[in-house]
Amino acid sequence: MKWLLIASIVLYLFGAHKRTLFLAGLAAELAYLAVRGAALGRLPLIGPHDTLVFFSASVAVMAFPFCFASTLTGSRRFSWGAGLLAGLFALLALPFPSFAMPLPPVLRTFWFELHVALAFFAYALFGVGGLLGAMFLFGRERPLLDLQYRASLVGYSFFSASMVAGGIWGYYAWGTYWLWTPKELWTSILWLFYSLYLHLRLKGARWDGVVAWGGIAGFAVALFTYLGVSMLMKSSHSF
Amino acid sequence: MSRPGFTGEACLAPTAVKGPTTMLAKLYDRLASLTFGLWLIGGVCLFLAVGSFSGGGAEGSSINDLPLFQWLAETPLVVSWWLWAAIALLAILAMNTVLCSIESVRMKYRRGNFLVLIAPQVMHAGFLLIVLAHLFSARGGYKQVMPIREGGVIMGPDGSRLQVANISAAMGPMGFPVDYSAELRTITGGRQDVATISPNHPYFSKGAGIYLKEVAVEPYRAALIEIHREPGAGVALAGALLFTVGNVVLLAVRRGR
Repeated sequence: MKWLLIASIVLYLFGAHKRTLFLAGLAAELAYLAVRGAALGRLPLIGPHDTLVFFSASVAVMAFPFCFASTLTGSRRFSWGAGLLAGLFALLALPFPSFAMPLPPVLRTFWFELHVALAFFAYALFGVGGLLGAMFLFGRERPLLDLQYRASLVGYSFFSASMVAGGIWGYYAWGTYWLWTPKELWTSILWLFYSLYLHLRLKGARWDGVVAWGGIAGFAVALFTYLGVSMLMKSSHSF
Repeated sequence: MSRPGFTGEACLAPTAVKGPTTMLAKLYDRLASLTFGLWLIGGVCLFLAVGSFSGGGAEGSSINDLPLFQWLAETPLVVSWWLWAAIALLAILAMNTVLCSIESVRMKYRRGNFLVLIAPQVMHAGFLLIVLAHLFSARGGYKQVMPIREGGVIMGPDGSRLQVANISAAMGPMGFPVDYSAELRTITGGRQDVATISPNHPYFSKGAGIYLKEVAVEPYRAALIEIHREPGAGVALAGALLFTVGNVVLLAVRRGR
């Protein structure tokens, strides 16, 4: 069924400037995830392959409604950029093998799936925010910054909910809602960074450039929290 | 141009006080300033990032085996300095959050939508409760891990005797357990109570949880049991719920704006 994933990558990378092709790419990727999920009997959220595909699909799902925002309806750059982002992460997933191992008992809980899924929705929205920030820096159109704020605020809400779910899971699994591990430190850094970003907007229009850069930097922090910590540091949250 | 009510120093009301109180007023202004709060958040981020690369914040560090304040007292400053710095900034940030919330409510009261005004303050209150929860756990947390054979007895958090019995495990194709459980039997006043513990399903007694961490079936049946008390858990949950409620209200009132 990998052809579904490959098809979605092609559609994202070469057709996302057209919304129908972008949607077709998303449909192919969701179908691939559904097949994976049906084979595993759970949400495919373990291992680099499954998480990268899930992240890529999250980017596309979260970005698609923005294509219809009045500010972006006449522009193909946003859907092209979002497609590029989704396609890139799906492409990164391809070299990794797709495992079909049973879940460790401690991961077999609703709180784990909620925790991880919400975190990826948040990362995706932070990616959308970063993209909008980059577009603002090129064109200096204020409505783009408003959209970036909305994407980041909703992403922040998802991320906060993910942390709550993770805390509840941790308490039932390990007896504590908090552990001092690199992943949890970076999760806190990411949450604090977006708290800073959301407050930065209150500084007024003179800070618009900084706010736009903040959205881009926030996505970089999100990527480090997701990929960097797993690759560079020892953590129970590694893939 | 700054928007009315959203000036850079959101919390600042011009201080007309002169004389010996001026310094205090300036200090208050500084502590209640948005810019100062942003710098503090940046500082906490920085020190946590440093800690994530240092041995102290590493997964295998003893930091997770002891209540935080005990770890800080026993660990050389050269290892724990980043955490001291982060805690110090966090304490000032907590104060900044309280003052900014008070000033924000004071300045915008009777102006605009009540929900728009109150939702961020509810989120602030949730954040402060979570910080407080960490403080409780850092002071009164307790953790004990013990391996025990099937039939062995452990002392419960309330001093009761708990027998670990009926350890079972289902092994997967790769030799790892895919499911496991054990029974905890308590005998009080001639009456026997049985509770089953398994991953994600601990047994709670007197504010502490008894967790089944691992089991072994060969050469004999044994379990790794952990007793964990987290005094801040309830407060953390209350803070998280408060934060979530404020967040949802904020999303609702800012919808379409």
